[in-house]
Amino acid sequence: MGLLQNRVAVVTGGGRGIGRAVALLMARHGARVLVNDTGTGLDGDGVDRSPADQVVQEIQAAGGVAAPSYHSVSSVEGGEKIVQDALNHFHTVDILVAAAGILRDRTVFDTTEEDWNALVGVHLKGTFSVVRAAARAMRGKAYGRIVTFTSAAGLYGTFGQAAYGAVKDGVAGFARVVARDLGRFGITVNCVAPRAETRMTASVPDDIMRQRQEVLGVPQPTPTSDGYPPEAVAHLVAFLCTDTAGDINGQLFYVAGGVVSLLSHPAVTRTVRKPSGGRWSVEELAVAFPLTLGVGLANPAPPRESP
Amino acid sequence: MGNTLQGKVAIVTGAGRGIGRGVALKLADEGAWVLVNDLGVAVDGTGADRMAADLVVGEIRERNGAAIASYANVASMQAGQGMTDAVLQEWGRLDIVVCVAGILRDRMVYNLSEKDWDDVLNVHLKGTFSLVKSAATVFRQQRSGRIITFSSESGLLGNPGQAAYGAAKSGICGFTKNVAREVGPYGVTANCIVPRAYTRMLQGVPPEAHLFLERLHIQGLPFDPASPEAQAWHPDDVAPFVAFLSSDYAANINGCTFLVYGDTIGLFQDPRPLSTIYKGEGFFTLEELAAIVPGTLGRGLANPAPAQVSK
Repeated sequence: MGLLQNRVAVVTGGGRGIGRAVALLMARHGARVLVNDTGTGLDGDGVDRSPADQVVQEIQAAGGVAAPSYHSVSSVEGGEKIVQDALNHFHTVDILVAAAGILRDRTVFDTTEEDWNALVGVHLKGTFSVVRAAARAMRGKAYGRIVTFTSAAGLYGTFGQAAYGAVKDGVAGFARVVARDLGRFGITVNCVAPRAETRMTASVPDDIMRQRQEVLGVPQPTPTSDGYPPEAVAHLVAFLCTDTAGDINGQLFYVAGGVVSLLSHPAVTRTVRKPSGGRWSVEELAVAFPLTLGVGLANPAPPRESP
Repeated sequence: MGNTLQGKVAIVTGAGRGIGRGVALKLADEGAWVLVNDLGVAVDGTGADRMAADLVVGEIRERNGAAIASYANVASMQAGQGMTDAVLQEWGRLDIVVCVAGILRDRMVYNLSEKDWDDVLNVHLKGTFSLVKSAATVFRQQRSGRIITFSSESGLLGNPGQAAYGAAKSGICGFTKNVAREVGPYGVTANCIVPRAYTRMLQGVPPEAHLFLERLHIQGLPFDPASPEAQAWHPDDVAPFVAFLSSDYAANINGCTFLVYGDTIGLFQDPRPLSTIYKGEGFFTLEELAAIVPGTLGRGLANPAPAQVSK
């Protein structure tokens, strides 16, 4: 009790899944929580106030302080309204957790413009819109904690999530930039790649899920009866929002049940220079590449024989 | 002059200037027939000028190459389909797409307008998706093809003042890794280039970005066009590697991200676990993390932008 005493937290997507777990946990640790959720279906269609309302009721029933907010994150105006809701209820904003997200698993061949716009709108613009509004509120008081969410699909690539992978790697890049925009104001911005059992992952077949996680290269915990609860993610997120984590800024984390990793950012590990200097020719690259950068390079999806 | 791309057809977006121009000329020099796409806008995406694409088409034809111009704004689904249809109609095939078109609107995140955000995301991210989607459909059917997209160190490392650009550029990298896994089985490759080149785009990069890179001891972006670095990072230096990836030599290079500048090619590694903590049963609680992380995962972490004490 008390690690987040009197802090005001805005949690988008706070009605379900990871966002809900974050909202409940933060309230238990003394934060006043604005639970934002439009209550849409997994694909972003429909609106329902009850997910946000139920989380607020749960928090209040446990003696915590919370208020609901139903605005969509997908516009700058929506982001401003959400932060304004927090200011109206609690007079300030200390913490922003941008967990709102939708899923539309399609290959690039089948992704429609509407799928693309919906995913970019909720994940990428929806992270920008609330970060922008919250940063404006946090800057003046020189304190803030922001947590955004990426995904293994974005960091490593997978099959069938072209648009989702794009927006999730986009969020990681956005967080890296914004950590540098806001750090000097005492605001931290970090990014979490979670593995959790929510309705979002329940929609993905088990073998695909396993493939997606294996690319991470971290030893996976033995699934216990606990599995990968969203609560495990919530505890890491809440930690990143404490005063103790004030110097953790611009970092990337992975969390899955009892495993928490600090991830590197993308980095150049090997380089080759033209020995004589100057501009390469295609023929020179054709000779040099396989002997240098190409060593050990595997095609993640080699050509299949024609049926 | 070479012939490594003889008989192939390419689309290059943003080909009127800078890196795209160098790529279009190089692909043509290697024998490819090239659709040169450029709306002819300023760095911030305003205006339009057909001369940008026309000049490059003229240059290619002067060198006895084959080229046609497109002035489409890449930021719509119609643009990608339109360019694909245009080369199929003109030359009957499509082998290579290179998505270079981009604009820049640098603002700190709290001052970034919705319009700036939308414009930057649309040109870079949706513009890449639009052409890649239409091309991938052709490539799947013919069971060959090359997709080459452009990311940036701004997104992969994080440059202050570039929230929209960094998001879009990192998004392109993630998009490409996913597309690579979807098109690979059909004999198609998708790779991403992170270029360093001294073009008109760099002249608008905010001073904070330069200072930040200096602090990290990363070779900074050259301020001065006459500086040795600027001279060393000629935009045309990016083109040979793009031509290589487009060629039959690179049939099995897929899903990679490459840094390309001057005489240097680098290979990016995806995020790796730097350190990990485990708990056998259940998960770490907030209290446990507060006790453990500072001495484990958090040890020695540098804040890239430490808080400044306000006066």
